[in-house]
Amino acid sequence: MKTSFIFLFMLCSLFVVGQQKITGSVVDEKGNPILGANVFIEGSYDGATTNEKGFFEFTSSEKGTKVLVISFLGYETLKHTFSMEHPAVGILKIKESVNTLDAVVINAGTFEAGDKAKVTVLKPLDIVTTAGSNANIVAALQTLPGTSTVGESGRLFVRGGESDETQTFVDGIRVAQPYGASAQNLPTRGRFSPFLFSGMSFSTGGYSAEYGEALSSVLLLNTIDEPAQESTQISLMTVGLGLANTQKWNKNALTINTAYLNLEPYQAMIPQRVKWYKPYQSLSGESVYRHQFEKGLFKLYAAFDAAQFDLSQDKINAPYLLRTDLHNSNFYLNSSYKVTLGTNWQFFTGMSYALSENKINLNDDFLHNTEHASHFKARLKKSFSERVKLTFGTDYFITKFDENYDVFQGSQWQEGYQATIGAVYAETDIFFSKKLALKSGIRGASNSYIHKNAFSPRLALAYKLAKESQISLAYGVFEQAPSQDYLKYSSDFENQKATHYILNYQYNFNKRTFRAELYYKNYSNLVKYDTPTVVYNAHFTNNGTGYAQGLDLFWRDNKTIKNLEYWVSYSYIDTKRDNINYPNKVTPSFAANHNLSIVTKYWIEDWKSQIGFSHTFNSGRPYNDYNQQTFMNGLTKPYNNLSFNWAYLISQQKIVYFSVTNVLGTKNVYGYEYANSPDANGYYNSTAITPTADRFLFLGFFWTISDNKKENQLNNL
Amino acid sequence: MKTKITLLLLVVTGVIATAQNQFEQGMSKALDLWKQGKSDEATALFERIAGAEKSQWLPNYYIALINTTEAFNPANKDKVTSLLSKANAALDIELAKTPNNVELLVVQAMAQTALLVTDPMTYGMTLAPKINGIYTKASILAPDNPRVVYCRAEFDMGGAQWTGADVKEICGRVAHSIDLFASFKPETPFSPTWGLDRAKETLQKCTK
Repeated sequence: MKTSFIFLFMLCSLFVVGQQKITGSVVDEKGNPILGANVFIEGSYDGATTNEKGFFEFTSSEKGTKVLVISFLGYETLKHTFSMEHPAVGILKIKESVNTLDAVVINAGTFEAGDKAKVTVLKPLDIVTTAGSNANIVAALQTLPGTSTVGESGRLFVRGGESDETQTFVDGIRVAQPYGASAQNLPTRGRFSPFLFSGMSFSTGGYSAEYGEALSSVLLLNTIDEPAQESTQISLMTVGLGLANTQKWNKNALTINTAYLNLEPYQAMIPQRVKWYKPYQSLSGESVYRHQFEKGLFKLYAAFDAAQFDLSQDKINAPYLLRTDLHNSNFYLNSSYKVTLGTNWQFFTGMSYALSENKINLNDDFLHNTEHASHFKARLKKSFSERVKLTFGTDYFITKFDENYDVFQGSQWQEGYQATIGAVYAETDIFFSKKLALKSGIRGASNSYIHKNAFSPRLALAYKLAKESQISLAYGVFEQAPSQDYLKYSSDFENQKATHYILNYQYNFNKRTFRAELYYKNYSNLVKYDTPTVVYNAHFTNNGTGYAQGLDLFWRDNKTIKNLEYWVSYSYIDTKRDNINYPNKVTPSFAANHNLSIVTKYWIEDWKSQIGFSHTFNSGRPYNDYNQQTFMNGLTKPYNNLSFNWAYLISQQKIVYFSVTNVLGTKNVYGYEYANSPDANGYYNSTAITPTADRFLFLGFFWTISDNKKENQLNNL
Repeated sequence: MKTKITLLLLVVTGVIATAQNQFEQGMSKALDLWKQGKSDEATALFERIAGAEKSQWLPNYYIALINTTEAFNPANKDKVTSLLSKANAALDIELAKTPNNVELLVVQAMAQTALLVTDPMTYGMTLAPKINGIYTKASILAPDNPRVVYCRAEFDMGGAQWTGADVKEICGRVAHSIDLFASFKPETPFSPTWGLDRAKETLQKCTK
């Protein structure tokens, strides 16, 4: 009896000796008690959860200095160091995590697409399933507000800016030539296959200091980090063939995508307004290689394409047809390496090299140009906490351009230049709370060719009004050297400059998104010259000015009607500029006051089909009517285009896709070209600039072969 | 003398047993809490055990499993990202140590599925192949693990209405998993054994 009593006593003492009672309470940032927070000593079993008053109490036999961990779902984990000799730790404050879906997002000016976006405006698959886009990234973006459809160009025109005011980046590295080759007044398309990218961000203004040399907009495309599985895709189309293959081994993955396009069958089927001697043909290949390191990722993206066509267009000022025989070859290499270092540092470095060569026979004249463009980039990011991040980095761009123009039995012209731009930037991201965030940055750049420096501050703020709504503000100065068309003749230029002011409101509720954005953009230092066309002996200045202001509205609803997704974009723009050889401030020919896009997609279960309609409307665009006294006083009739597509799933891995643009056959006019001199009656004749054909027809069969037979074509819908 | 030796022995073994039992007691208690529906408290306890026992993968496994299961609960709609970030953080810790642990892989696939079902039209394209990739890896590593077979079949079943996959074939795999559950032997008393009930339920729907 006695023995067992001693035993019991000793056993008890084993637990009781050196026991300390740890007490305290846990509150949120406003001082409200938190119920259910987990409080424990790191590395021990000792701990408790807080009660409704936020209070906790537990015993421990630990000794010395210890770390108390406070963890609670949706909050940042707090580590509090204390001494076991002072076990009353008092009030501990924990902060809400800002890495949650309902935290505020800085989004003025920006549309996000992809899996990393919090509010997705456009999904990766929308690029291929938007009727009329035909797997062209740029065409899909033209259904978003802030852009205008400029049918004779096909490029991105953002908020009253010209197409070269938008820069494209792949994995953070610049793409010098994002568009395929085209002739005058023929639309081009983006070079990139949408299937290689997992996300994109399209900014119509107010973007980060990380990006420069863009007056209006940046388009950021990110290649897929790690493909999910090995597969082969075969495409048979009325306009060509495609083959893609993905291989994975160890820590490596390689995707190769090749395509041959030939528009001859289409051109034979649909009447064309230009005479084709040789149809548009292109052979292209893209590949992405990735290697995963323990803490890093290396990516190598390479793309090559060769395109050619031969056609003749009727030109009002030429006595005969203008024949264009074009051969373009383009090579683009982009490599990047991202690594996490030590305590919350992230390092990124990358480079790109682009080579574009055009050989163009213009009737009997010959034009040959070559552009070499490189971009080197390094960036360091430090996360001080979940709430404060600092980014700084440097860019170095080299551009070399050479052009020869041989006039038939005449003189030879040679132009060219080499420019390097060095830039540095720094930016901080601060979350003051889950409701208020700020991003502020600064960028400085120096251009060796025009001998000018640029200095661009950027600022963005976002504030959450309620659970579903927020407002966002952005301000920034954006500078860009004049385009190649001018630099090849002169180096006596300033950087062109734009200042953006943006106010954004967003309401996001249960798969419905509403966005409204007001903006004002002020241009200065735009290029002006005094000749009818750009020529070497023109008198160039930087006295051009301009502005753009307007309202962009966007509504997307994936919920209200079962199996129907739709979005509506509307933009109103008021813009004028006095640049190039304009005599005064006018609305440029690429800007229409009203732009409206409606995109719908409907899934019909019984037919295993997705059917989509898109409609684009633009009000009339200005053109210069030579028969009127006032400059740029003409207005074309409105533009309308209704497109349709149908995707039918034969089986899990086989799909048939059909699409047609301009179903209604609207006769659209983009503008007019006038004769340089009047006829006998003093009247200037004109011809309309119209699409080369009223419709584009496309029929394709796509087949995915993968080992586990689970991947299916629905993913491509 | 004899008594003293006995006493000493008892105390010494008592101390050792206490250290060993602390893990087992903690695990039992946490699993009990979860059974009682107190998933927050269970997670809290597993979190403490995980912090103290760095060589054990099971505490983090259960943190991931509990939080993933909670993420599927429609009542937690607003907390899905928080729950899944907790689950994924726990999985990341253990998968870094043992990347080929199929039980962890199954929960990882389930966590991704929980995100997918919140918005299939947005996440379908990117996550479905990723989830398939995880299950493919798990199937190669452990073709006879009942949870691998069952969870994969369940995922395929979920997608069948979109993909038009052969439901009969999937039901065959569910039935096969039930046989595998019968012969499955957990490595430790706390190793995962769950899934049989759900597999039976799913099979019942098959025969309807």
